[in-house]
Amino acid sequence: MAAEPLLRISEVVTAYGKIEALKGVSLDVAQGSITCLLGPNGAGKTTLMMTVAGVLKPKSGSIRFSEEEISSLPPHAIVSRGIALVPENRLVFPSMTVLENLRAGAYQRKNDFQEDIARVFARFPRLKERSAQQGGTLSGGEQQMLAVARALMSRPKLLLMDEPSLGLAPLVVEEIFHIVAELHREGSTIFLVEQNAHMALKVAQHFYLIEQGRVTFSGNPGSLAEDEVIRRAYLGSAQS
Amino acid sequence: MDEYAIGVLTNIGLFSFIAASAYLLLVAGELSFGQQAFFGVGAYAAGICTAMLGWPLPLAALAAMALGALAAALVGLPTLRLRGLYFAMATLAAAEMLRILFELFHWQLEIGGETVGPDGTQGFRGIRWVFERGVEPADFLALVWALLAVVAIAIHLIEKSRLGATVRALGEDPELAGMLGIDVLRLKLGVAAAAGALAALGGALFAHHNTYIEPRNFDIMLGVHSLAYALIGGLGTVFGPLLGVALDLGLLEGTRFFQGYRMIVFGGLVALLLIWRPRGLLDERVVHWLKTRFS
Amino acid sequence: MTDFVQNSLDGITLGASYALLALGFTLIFGVLRRANLSYGPAIMFGAYLATWTSLNFPAALFVLFLVTVAGAVLAGSYVERLCFAPHRKGSAVAAMVASFALWMQFEELAVLALPKHLYAFPALYDGGPLSFGPFFLRLESLLMLLAAVSICFLLWKILHATRFGIAVRAVIDDPTAAELSGINIGAISLRVFALASAIGGLTGFLIISSQEQVTPMLGMWSTLKGMLAMMLGGLGSLPGAVAGGLALGLLEAHSQWYFGPQWRDFIAYLLLFVLLAMRPPWMNTRSAY
Repeated sequence: MAAEPLLRISEVVTAYGKIEALKGVSLDVAQGSITCLLGPNGAGKTTLMMTVAGVLKPKSGSIRFSEEEISSLPPHAIVSRGIALVPENRLVFPSMTVLENLRAGAYQRKNDFQEDIARVFARFPRLKERSAQQGGTLSGGEQQMLAVARALMSRPKLLLMDEPSLGLAPLVVEEIFHIVAELHREGSTIFLVEQNAHMALKVAQHFYLIEQGRVTFSGNPGSLAEDEVIRRAYLGSAQS
Repeated sequence: MDEYAIGVLTNIGLFSFIAASAYLLLVAGELSFGQQAFFGVGAYAAGICTAMLGWPLPLAALAAMALGALAAALVGLPTLRLRGLYFAMATLAAAEMLRILFELFHWQLEIGGETVGPDGTQGFRGIRWVFERGVEPADFLALVWALLAVVAIAIHLIEKSRLGATVRALGEDPELAGMLGIDVLRLKLGVAAAAGALAALGGALFAHHNTYIEPRNFDIMLGVHSLAYALIGGLGTVFGPLLGVALDLGLLEGTRFFQGYRMIVFGGLVALLLIWRPRGLLDERVVHWLKTRFS
Repeated sequence: MTDFVQNSLDGITLGASYALLALGFTLIFGVLRRANLSYGPAIMFGAYLATWTSLNFPAALFVLFLVTVAGAVLAGSYVERLCFAPHRKGSAVAAMVASFALWMQFEELAVLALPKHLYAFPALYDGGPLSFGPFFLRLESLLMLLAAVSICFLLWKILHATRFGIAVRAVIDDPTAAELSGINIGAISLRVFALASAIGGLTGFLIISSQEQVTPMLGMWSTLKGMLAMMLGGLGSLPGAVAGGLALGLLEAHSQWYFGPQWRDFIAYLLLFVLLAMRPPWMNTRSAY
């Protein structure tokens, strides 16, 4: 009997008022994997991320993490369970320094975060250089790194990433995915949402396609022609 | 009907005007802490017209409404593009400025051997046009409620029309409204002017009912009260603010059950009610349900 | 010239009390993005509690201080639980109107407990004003100034050197990001409310013991001054609150000298109205409510 995957999302429906952004999404994230969710704008990727993170509450459906139902928990409880989200648009704290951003990420670890700061600075030397700089003054790529670093400060068992490549130059995107692969090698489980299918497929073990609030495909990279995937990730299928 | 009951019912009618005034702006998406200023403008204007210029009440009321609309437009023009607390504070500032001007306003005339007119903080006595014509309290009550009914029905009809839907849409999502080509600022200005006229009409009637007004009548308390009445009565229909006024002045104060601690009861009720119903008793959902049930 | 300096001195000390009120008000506004109309009334609750204590027990001034602060914190927490916690993800208007409703409760409670319009309160200091050449400065005013400076420093330390402070600043900067970082916004809100109410209580105590009297107007007055100063200094910014408070104090002191008390208030409101109408960039700190 196979163990339940680390994250199991079943028939989740999330609505904004009367509009259902997620119309019954189901997917699994296996322990130790990089799992990708690809899809065009408005398909529901960010809504799903925010629902898992607890910021949005699903109308129905279940979200199980380490075999525990978490769909009704508030965001801070979900962080304490070991899930951290690197949000779309980074959402760094603009008026706080890089170091303070990291300390905020480590909020639940109380005062035991020095080791994590050292590790994060080792992984992101550019952040160490700018540790006293205000988050709002960093470049897009640096903010992305800060957002990832901040999420790592809570020592998550599952790292959620919402469009880490958004608005970044190709070289920076490569750097980010390099970090993603590195984290994976070290044993982290990563659930990644992206529009940039090309980069995502290079690192993922498993991917899903989401279109208009529903998962329309599930498979390994290579099980669908890459250009077909890219087309559907940017544009969606011909039929709705 | 005994005199006390007539008094209570008249007050409910009078304050319904200013509650409806706050309601109109809330529906259009703006929070105003300053409708009491236009209530005051209406009171002073109508009082001056009848007691000092010898005008009949209907004419005075119209003048009051015009001035109320004008004042509201003047306040709204530079401020309606502000949202949320910024606009609220601007209306508060404007209302307090007007109240201070009332405190500094002295203009008195000798009429029939008496000194009549606004006398700063001492107030404005002798607004007796109604009672000089032998109008009984019960008749005045009927007048107030007749006018309120006309106004409420007019607003109700507008609410059901496309204009009403547009204003409501404006309140719910101004960005979207703007994108749909609605001239947001002009529409809000129109609503503000109408709200100002409405409050002024209430003020005109208030002045003639009390025969004496002073600047203190038109302070922040009145403004925030009207806001509360509108919100707890419900933002789904113009009858909401009327319900709100009736609940406080009628049920709580009128019944004298809670003599001495009425505000403690009302305050607690409002806070609790808003937890359960943040848009009031007659909110959009209830009104929609009522419409489908009775159509 | 002497008058100008004296008025400026008076303005700064008055401004110190406004700055303190604005700080408390702004803390709540910054974290909750909503105006708490019961801020002043909660202070008044503490002040009345202390007055009642002083009328019924031979209490030392320090005890009365503690009672004021405790009363304000208690009242503030009550407001937070009833008006702001339930509407956190909901309607800002409902929260603010609910806070007004509780203001009504506090006022009536005060009048019921102590029915007279004015009550004497023990003096903070019995002596006369200190003189520096041609200028006068009351010791109480100096204490208010000292209190303002100390609270600013204390607040700065809390916000920059403690874990709680990091959380507060995170919520002020970006509540969603703060939630995602594992910060419990509800718990932080309550603690910020308590902190702001404590600062309010301290300020209230200094005011009533300097003026040696308490009136039920203290509630509305404190809220108004706090809001006015906060808006003048740039909505939601703490340094702005201090600057706004000092500016308001100076403005009032000079206006009163040249034009009298009514024009003094008029000018302050006019300034606010004009600033809001013009929306200079430094007012644009926070969004909407």
